Amino acid sequence: MSIEAARINDGAAGEGTGGSPGAPAPGPSGLGASGASARPGALLVSEALPASRSLFRQAYHDTLTRPSARIGLTWLFLLAFVAVFAPFLANSRPLLMKMAGRWSSPLLRGLTPADVLLLIATFTAIIVFALRLSIPRSIGFIAGVLTLAALPVLMLVKPPVNTVYSRYREQTALGKIQWSLLPPVPYSPTDRLRDQPDARLQPPGREHWVGTDTNGADVFSGLLHASRVALSIGFIATSISVVIGILVGGIMGYFVGMTDLLGMRFIEIFEAIPQLFLLISITAFMEHRDIYVMMAVIGATSWTGYARFLRAEFLTIRKLDYVQAAIAAGLPRRVILFRHMLANGLTPILVSTTFGVAGAILYESTLSFLGLGLVDEASWGSMLQQARASGSGFIWWIAFFPGLAIFLTVFSYNLIGESLRDALDPRLRKRD
Amino acid sequence: MFNYLIRRLLLMLPTLIGVTAVVFFVMALSPGGIGASLLSTEGALRPEERKAMEAYYKARYGLDRPLPVQYAHWLNHVSPIGLKTAGEGFPSSWKVGFKYPDLGESYSSHRPVSQMIGEAVPITILLELLSLPLIYIIAIWTGIRSARSRGKVLDVGMGFVLLAMFSMPEIWIGMLFIGFLTNHMSYVHWFPSNGLHDVQSDSMLFLPSWSGGFQRGWLLDMAWHLCLPVICLSYGSFAFLSRLQRGALLEALNQDFVRTARAKGLSERVVIYRHAFRNSLMPLITVAARILPALISGAIVIETIFGVPGMGKLAIDSVFSRDRELLMGITLIASLLQLIGYLIGDVAYAVADPRVSYVD
Repeated sequence: MSIEAARINDGAAGEGTGGSPGAPAPGPSGLGASGASARPGALLVSEALPASRSLFRQAYHDTLTRPSARIGLTWLFLLAFVAVFAPFLANSRPLLMKMAGRWSSPLLRGLTPADVLLLIATFTAIIVFALRLSIPRSIGFIAGVLTLAALPVLMLVKPPVNTVYSRYREQTALGKIQWSLLPPVPYSPTDRLRDQPDARLQPPGREHWVGTDTNGADVFSGLLHASRVALSIGFIATSISVVIGILVGGIMGYFVGMTDLLGMRFIEIFEAIPQLFLLISITAFMEHRDIYVMMAVIGATSWTGYARFLRAEFLTIRKLDYVQAAIAAGLPRRVILFRHMLANGLTPILVSTTFGVAGAILYESTLSFLGLGLVDEASWGSMLQQARASGSGFIWWIAFFPGLAIFLTVFSYNLIGESLRDALDPRLRKRD
Repeated sequence: MFNYLIRRLLLMLPTLIGVTAVVFFVMALSPGGIGASLLSTEGALRPEERKAMEAYYKARYGLDRPLPVQYAHWLNHVSPIGLKTAGEGFPSSWKVGFKYPDLGESYSSHRPVSQMIGEAVPITILLELLSLPLIYIIAIWTGIRSARSRGKVLDVGMGFVLLAMFSMPEIWIGMLFIGFLTNHMSYVHWFPSNGLHDVQSDSMLFLPSWSGGFQRGWLLDMAWHLCLPVICLSYGSFAFLSRLQRGALLEALNQDFVRTARAKGLSERVVIYRHAFRNSLMPLITVAARILPALISGAIVIETIFGVPGMGKLAIDSVFSRDRELLMGITLIASLLQLIGYLIGDVAYAVADPRVSYVD
């Protein structure tokens, strides 16, 4: 009996076709065609689906075929590429040079341990993708490679503490460097072009594609490097908030009653303060605002939506026959919670996660803009702030391009989120 | 209904206590604590002066006591029922009774917090009352248009454009507005860049007048100053509401009563506006309360960019000057406003929809 129940529920977990976020009464409906055909909405879906495809595969396919999602994904892939290879795309150090008869690569020497680990992770991911491993396995593989690589990388990779960027340009001008290969954007974001007296506030042109800022640093180079901040904060802050949300919401939805009542008050506390206000109050009193602190703070303040969603789902799901059957069959609570309930309740969270990433990026840039963001790393928001803080009037290229980068990234996530929502919502499919 | 209101109002109390406790302990547990941050604004001091100042502040604001005691003290100050205090410092008598709530005195400007908030709240509420109708009118209009041409280029295009507007950061649009539209030097100067009034607004007449050349007067001057902030505050909210209106109208158009209306031979205009539209307004009423938080968050950014002296700007100023009393007061009032917004939304829902009732 228990094995049978588990098998049926596995099916439900895999292809919870009618999971239908937002539908008035999300039914089990993944129990197979006979169960689903009772409801008109689900009937249409089961007709549209080949029987072998799971909900997620179908949604994935649907999302990928929408032009708006493709625009979003293209931009995000481009951004991910830029983020991983930023030191190779924009750097004042030559990639390869010949000086006094000796070949060397200052760029490779200047990589930080974080750069190297990021590169290792990326290449492992590409290999794993080519091998077509299953998702848990590939995550484990990448994590394993990273842990193995971490210690040697941290010990061996020692970038020079001080770099005089202009040295390379001067030596080239003097003819000491016989041959050098420079990256496409030959400026580092922290290179303030001290050897060029009129480098400050140059408008976009051939030398500097989107101009230079008040310090004389190349804005485009800064934009490329800051893409790392935006992408990683979006991802990790959202992961943190999803984990907290799932924990709190799941506990509330499963152990109803007093736990639920107290949990709702707890959620209300966080929802009664406007989130930006809470973020400002927290970050203003923090001395060391590095990227990890920002991720944690944004993650710890934006989980309420996920908790609400999962609680509502769990309150419905726990009454359903298959969960009651699993409880009656005496399955351990861990199995009921994770295999049966969580697997079915995650669908609405998946959609709001995409919007959550967009929100986290917006919050980070807003905080940086207000001067409460990262302390020693440039982000798009803090670059935008420079346009406000500079005393020399309005410099349109400092204001326009970082804002454009934020906008395009947020827009991409929102486009993907909308497509995903439409793909996962069978009611919309009926309508359109 | 009355019982429901009372219950909701009473449930606000634990939430408000929780909210203020969260903000209080975040501040208090920050490195250095509030005493150190108070002194950091005082500039360079000799060590003995510094010690004296620190001792003075600690005694004056009770900063030398344990944190929970400090919080309870603040709470006692604020609540209308509690221990009566005689003068400054900690409660000297243990008489319990009704008293006038006191939000304390600002650390940085040494003015009563209630007075400062009282000046700022109307401005923020004015901003929101101006944006809300604008948002609703445009969202309803675009929602109806896209529902009527569902699946066509207009619908898809409108959805795309509205989502793009939703994704545009307010900080970016605000900066570009200020840079391009309020710039004497290199671009146009259509709008003022800062504040709520012109410098000479005090000597202006209230209404515009044409005696001896056009004078815009106090009211028009304020409207002119509010244009850009209101636009910035509104544009991002269209997408969500418009989408909601579109969905609700499509749902209504699928109902039997619309088919009946069409079968009677009514014109499409009457069917949509008389029959379907009225029934599709329900979801928009419920979310009104949920938009308010977004507007309050938006007000923080927009008031800072445009220099409007509202709650958002006051909050930012209090954070930067590490003014605990002011920040606590703002937290209390802002969350109270937000909770009242939620309550109004729920009550409006019950009033608008006879099927919803809170009587049980």
